Order: sequence, then structure tokens, then C-alpha cells
Amino acid sequence: MLTKEDDPNYVEPWLEGCKNAGISAKEISVMEALELEPNLAKDIVRVFRVPDSCVDGFRLCSHNKMSATRYGAKVFFYHQVTGINQKNGKVRSVSVKNAMTGETFDIGCRYLINAAGSWAGEVAALAGLHASITPDRGTLIGFNHRFTSRVINRLHASGDGDIFVPHGSITILGTTSVPTDRPDDTRPTYEEVAELLTLGEPLFPLTREYRILRAFAGTRPLYTPGGASGRKATRNFSVVDHSKDGLEGMVSVFGGKLTTYRLMAERVTDDVCKHLGVDEPCRTAEEPLVPEPKPEMLEKAKKYFPLHAISLMAARLGDELPKVLEKAELAGNNEARATGTHITDYAGNPLLCECELVSTVEVDCVASDPDSHSLTDVRLRTRLGMGTCQGAFCSLRTIGSLAEHGIELKYPPTENVFRFLQERWKGLRPVMWGLQAREMEMGRAMYIGLLNLDGAMNEQEN
Amino acid sequence: MKVRINPDKCIACTTCVAHCPVARVTPKFLGPRMIGPAYERFRLLALAEDESLTYCANCKNCDITCPQGVPVSSINMLARAEQARKQGTTLRDWVLAHGELQAKLLQIIPASLKNFGMLNPVTRYVLDQLGIDKRAPLPAFAKKTFRQAFKKIDQGSHSRKVVFFPGCYVDVYDPQTGLDMVWAFNKAGYEVISPDEFGCCGLPMIANGFWEDGKKRANNNLAELAKWREQGITVVTGCPSCALIFRDDIPEFYPELVEKHGLGRLEDAQDFLMECVERGELDLGGIRNDTEQPIVYHAPCHLRAQGNGLPGMELLKRLPGIKPVNANAGCCGISGSYGFKKEKYDIAQEVGSELFDIVRKNPCKYASSECGTCRVQIEHGSGKKAIHPVSILRMRMEGKTDPVVDEL
Repeated sequence: MLTKEDDPNYVEPWLEGCKNAGISAKEISVMEALELEPNLAKDIVRVFRVPDSCVDGFRLCSHNKMSATRYGAKVFFYHQVTGINQKNGKVRSVSVKNAMTGETFDIGCRYLINAAGSWAGEVAALAGLHASITPDRGTLIGFNHRFTSRVINRLHASGDGDIFVPHGSITILGTTSVPTDRPDDTRPTYEEVAELLTLGEPLFPLTREYRILRAFAGTRPLYTPGGASGRKATRNFSVVDHSKDGLEGMVSVFGGKLTTYRLMAERVTDDVCKHLGVDEPCRTAEEPLVPEPKPEMLEKAKKYFPLHAISLMAARLGDELPKVLEKAELAGNNEARATGTHITDYAGNPLLCECELVSTVEVDCVASDPDSHSLTDVRLRTRLGMGTCQGAFCSLRTIGSLAEHGIELKYPPTENVFRFLQERWKGLRPVMWGLQAREMEMGRAMYIGLLNLDGAMNEQEN
Repeated sequence: MKVRINPDKCIACTTCVAHCPVARVTPKFLGPRMIGPAYERFRLLALAEDESLTYCANCKNCDITCPQGVPVSSINMLARAEQARKQGTTLRDWVLAHGELQAKLLQIIPASLKNFGMLNPVTRYVLDQLGIDKRAPLPAFAKKTFRQAFKKIDQGSHSRKVVFFPGCYVDVYDPQTGLDMVWAFNKAGYEVISPDEFGCCGLPMIANGFWEDGKKRANNNLAELAKWREQGITVVTGCPSCALIFRDDIPEFYPELVEKHGLGRLEDAQDFLMECVERGELDLGGIRNDTEQPIVYHAPCHLRAQGNGLPGMELLKRLPGIKPVNANAGCCGISGSYGFKKEKYDIAQEVGSELFDIVRKNPCKYASSECGTCRVQIEHGSGKKAIHPVSILRMRMEGKTDPVVDEL
């Protein structure tokens, strides 16, 4: 979208660039654009349609794990690499520490891939190598509902706050670019949120009216060997074979964006395969990470899950869908036996998170996974607590349900809820006004006023 | 669909769930918050509609209780229209939504024959197969419609004028209430005008997913209302649902019609009569019969949704001898045609059970309520006759203790 604030002279070189890159860019009338997306600003100047899509980062991670596991990989969550052990100029193993238990051990390897993103520089340093990785914080805003069905970009040189992305049930506005010195600097600030809202208004004039769910931030792993930073630093990625630094058996991937995630993986893997003498072509561009759910499975699920919930749940569960359906059937049958009726209306499987339609059985399954230590782990896989109420209702409901079903997590229930809410409130603090402030006040009244969550920890200690 | 309601105002407090009469009695309805603002977020994702949506009775208790001002029922009705557009509607729902049209088509057939045709066991069996429960208290066609009866009334001459919007229930099934209304306005010194141009308010169509039909009715009615607005003559109705749809639903659902014709408002007839009493136009002092007569009054949900108090109950209180008790038992369950539907009949009966119990246990001979289908449901559930407050007004002003029945 070329808004009245954008330079119209940018259009021609941009179209030229699209053509050279083989990207179709078709101009449509402003009227047609408004028909497609009625919430857009009425005064936009020019509109081009380009192929675009978005990715669910949470789902990508868990599906990537599922796919790798199917091919024999072993994935360690919550493990920190503490050392890279070499012998005769070749990497032999890495030392890791389990952050949950404190246990340390070594993992032997023929080849080591450093794909640690913003941490890639620190990991390289463990091998005595230097890499200029400059973490760069980007803050985004998540809005309560989808007010666009398509990804909407400003037509200007890449800058802050110029993209709206419909993402599941919400809309995301991003992004800022602020240099930081820590890879884990993921605290969004009020100033960035205010700036984003101002930048978003030329595309969606009601940007300030829509309810903000939360703000969140991540760091980009900018690769800055030449010293460039911020928007000037390249978003391209580099695959670095460290044999040039005198270390055999280690490759790093520096820089890059999630957009090029699969391509990065392909390049790195091809590089490693060469070293390992494997000449199998990479299939990741053709092969989905998890198979499409079978239609008969979805049909069967209608008995145990509200209709809206099924496709979303199936999409995120991937390989685990059959297991969850089996459990739902069991729960339904048990409930029917207990009440002496036939299975109706999702018996035995009530929704725990009503905002994101997450049911008891799904939560039970995910929480029973040895990799789930906290409610937050359950959230990352299910979207529990990521909707309108930001955990106000579901955290309490879920912890009670888990306790009732004898599913234990690493943290005791009260601490688990406390940690979960702290994490949710981290995203709420920089956006505490308007409708979300009302939501926050209700959550505060429930957990602090009624349940004394902040004091309860101390009472237990005494 | 052009209109969309932003779901952002809901803070998920679930006050509406606690006050939803349907969610209380059946798990088939996931509750106003879920079906309304919560699902709206997923409707925007273009996911298929959940069956549960059809269980919203559109009683609007969610709208009444929402502390954030979310028009929950409107979100549901818009979603239902969309569902009807995508998945089609049933013959059963068409029949229930278009009672007025059927009455028009059947008007040359005598009522007794029509009623024999509609209410005999064979037809009821067929309707039951169609999805209209055979136990449901389908109202009988009146011998004459209100419109037919109205034209024969000699109102005498009056200096003041008021326009009466009968609504299709009064017109087709219950002309007596309309005649009582005309009688009361005449007593207060008003000539009553009831134009033939007024049709069904459209609510039964909207509630059953017939969006365009509802719009047509709204268009005709608003055009007619505009005429009377220009002449400065008040238009009143005795039916709270008709009044509510003009006040809330039409501006929300069909803003383009309001732009075209201006806002159309129906004043509450009971409120208007109370004002007549205050102004001294209607003299209740002349009532000589002050026999004590208990009456259980039921406030229709669509009256409470207007936030305009309970003028019908206030009117009853002013009648010497009448001791009205507000049942205060929430929804009666019927919600227009909802309680006639086979899969909803039992739900409707359970929703209304508290009210039926109060009416049954009270020594009253009559219950009273402004809403026609509420009265049908009360009679069906409690076994006692239910009449409109204005019919009680006439009964007492005529010195009687049983409702007046005019020759049709």
C-alpha cells in the first residue's frame, strides 16, 4: 500500500526489483482493495497485490521437532551448551547443562551446527571463535482480533511499523529495530508501542481503537562483520564453515530472518552433507513438517471438540493429533459411563481456555509430555492463555484440572500460575490502557485481590 | 455482510454466562460470551459455524447484564444470518419466521377452518416431523385479524391522535389486546390510527436467519414511521420486542436504512398511557369496582433490555384493587418461536419453569405480560390465563374482574 505519507517515486524501482526477483506485483484499484479489506485507510494512494503468507513461529518449532524426531533426531529442550570440546583441531563433542535439573553431560558428534540465532556469537565463542553478532530488538503488538485477512505492507523502503499480519485469531503490527547488547533482551517498551501505533495509522486509521492484547519483543541476530547496525545491517544470512578458522567439524549460520528459515537450513545441511559424504538432495521444500490430518479423523473429532476448535487444534498438534483424539474418546466414554448417558456435547472434555479454544484433553496430553515443565510450556504448544483474557481465567482452571488429573509439572501449582501470569503480564505492562487495562484490572482483582497470589508464595515459605 | 461488530469490548468476565437462561439449562449452548465475542474472533478466520449458535434464544439477557456494553445478541444474530446465507435455512424456520405472510395468504379461509387445518393432530404430526414440537403451544388464528376488526370500530371523535403499531402477534392471533389498546386510547381522548402499511417488525425473520426479509420489513416500516414523525404524531406499540428492534437492532443491522428514512421509534404504549394518567387525560379515579385481585406480572426480556423500567407494571399498580406481583423470574423460555422448535422445546420449558411455578403458586386467576408469546408460554406452563396489562386496565375500568371480550 502506498499511503499518502510514502514517496510515490519509490514505486517504479520497487516494481523493477519485484520483476528482477520474479515476484508478481499486480496493481489493483483502491476501491477493490477497500472491498477486500474494509478497515484499510480510505485515502491510500496505490495498491499492489503480491504473493505473501505468514508463519506460526510456535507451531514451526514444535513441528520441526516432530519432523526431526521422525527421522531419528533427539531434541533436548532447556539445555544450555556450556562447552565445545575439540581434539586435534576437530570438534568431538559438546557439553550441555539441563537448566531444569542442573544435570551436565556431553553429547558426542561428528559435526556441529551452530544455529543459535542471537546466541550464535556466544556459541561460537565457546569454540574460541569470534563472530560479530549484534542482537537487535524488535517489538511487535498483538491485537485482539483480525481486522485484516491479508498481510498488509507499506510500500516504502523497509522501516519500523510498516506491516500488519493476520496471525490465527489476532493481528500483529510490527516491528521496531533497537540495538541491544543482550540476546535475551525481549522486554517490549511503552515507547516502542506508542511509536508503532503512530506508524500503523496511515494503513489502518483505527489502529488506536483496536484492543491491544499485548506487546512482545524478540532479538534479530544481525550479522555485522563490517560494523553496520540497525536497519542498515543486512537481513541476509551467512553460512560459515569454520575450517577456514582452523576448526574442522563445525558450521555456523549467522544472521537471517525467519522468512528464510527453511532455506538457511537447506544450505547448512547441504554443506554438512558434503562433509559427511551424503549426496541425498534436500527435500524440505516439498515435504511438509507434519502430515495433513485425515478427514475421517477430523470428522470423528466433532463428537469431542467444538467445531471451531478442531481445525485449529489439528493444525497445531501435528503428529500428536491421533493421541489426543484417542484420549478424548476415552474421556467421553468415561463421562458417558459415569453419567449413564450417551456422549454428547464434548462430555469429559470441557474447554479450559475459552479464548483460544483449548480443551482439557489437549492440555492433559501436552502437559504429560516430559518436555513440559510449566504452564508456559503448555501455552507454547497449545495457545492456552494467549487470547482475549491473557490467562486470567484459564491459568487457574488449567492448574486445577491438571492437579485433578494427577499430572505434575516441575513447579508446584501456585508457583506455576505465578510464573505463568508474570510472563503474561510482561506483555501487558507496556500497553496498560483502554480495553486491555480493564482486562488487566480484572485479572489483578482475581489473582492479587481475591487469591492473594503475590502473598501466597511467602505464606508457603513460612 | 457489511455490518460487523468489533468483539474487542468483551473482557471475558462471564457475567453474561451467569445470567444466560439457556446456558444454565443446557450444555448445547456454549454461552453468550463463547458464541458471541469469543467465537467472533474465529469467525474472522472464516472457520465453519458451530451448531451451538442456533441455541442462542436472542432473549438479550446477555446484553442487559454486560458491564462493558457488548451487544452480544447482535453478534449472534449477525453470525446466524451469515450461517443461513452459507448453509441455507430450513422450511421449519421459514414457517416460524413468516407467520404474518402465512396469515395473509390464508386470510380468505375462515379461522375455524385454518385452525382445524393447522392444529389438528395430523398437521401437528407433520409439523413435528418438520421440527415444530407437537407439544408446543402454537397460537390459534383469530376469527378476524386486528386490522379487520379495527376498521369496524366507531372510535367517536377525539381531538388528539396516536398511531398504533399492532405487531403481527396482535394482528394475527390476538386482536383483543389491540382492541383493548384502542379502547384505552379512546378513553384518554385519542383517536387511534393504525395504518395497513405497518407489517411485522422483522424480528422473527432476523432471529431465524432471514436477513433480507427482515430488511424489507424494516424498510417498509421505517418509511411509514417517517411519515408520522414528520406529522409529529407519536407511534406506540404494546409489544416490547417490536419496540426493541426499532430502538436497537435496526440501527445496528441496517444502518443504511436509518440513513435513508431516519430513526424510527416506537414508544411504549403502557408508558404513554401512564403519561396520559399523569396528565389527567386518562381518569382512573372513576373505577368503582375495587375488588382485590392479585396479578402476577412477568417482565418480558425484551422490555428489560430497553432499560426503560416496567411501565406496564406501574400501570397495573395504579389500578384500584389490583395487587401486581413482579414474578422476577427471568426469561419465560419461549423467545418468540424458539420454544416451538423441537430440539428447543424442553429447554424452553425448563428455562420458564421458575416463572411457571411462581404463577401456579400465586392465588391469582390471571398473569400479565406485555409480550404475546410470553403469554402463550405462561399459559402453557402454568395453566393460568395471561393477559396484557392494558387489557387489565380496560377490564377494571369497565368494572369487571374478567377480561372483556369483544365481538369479532
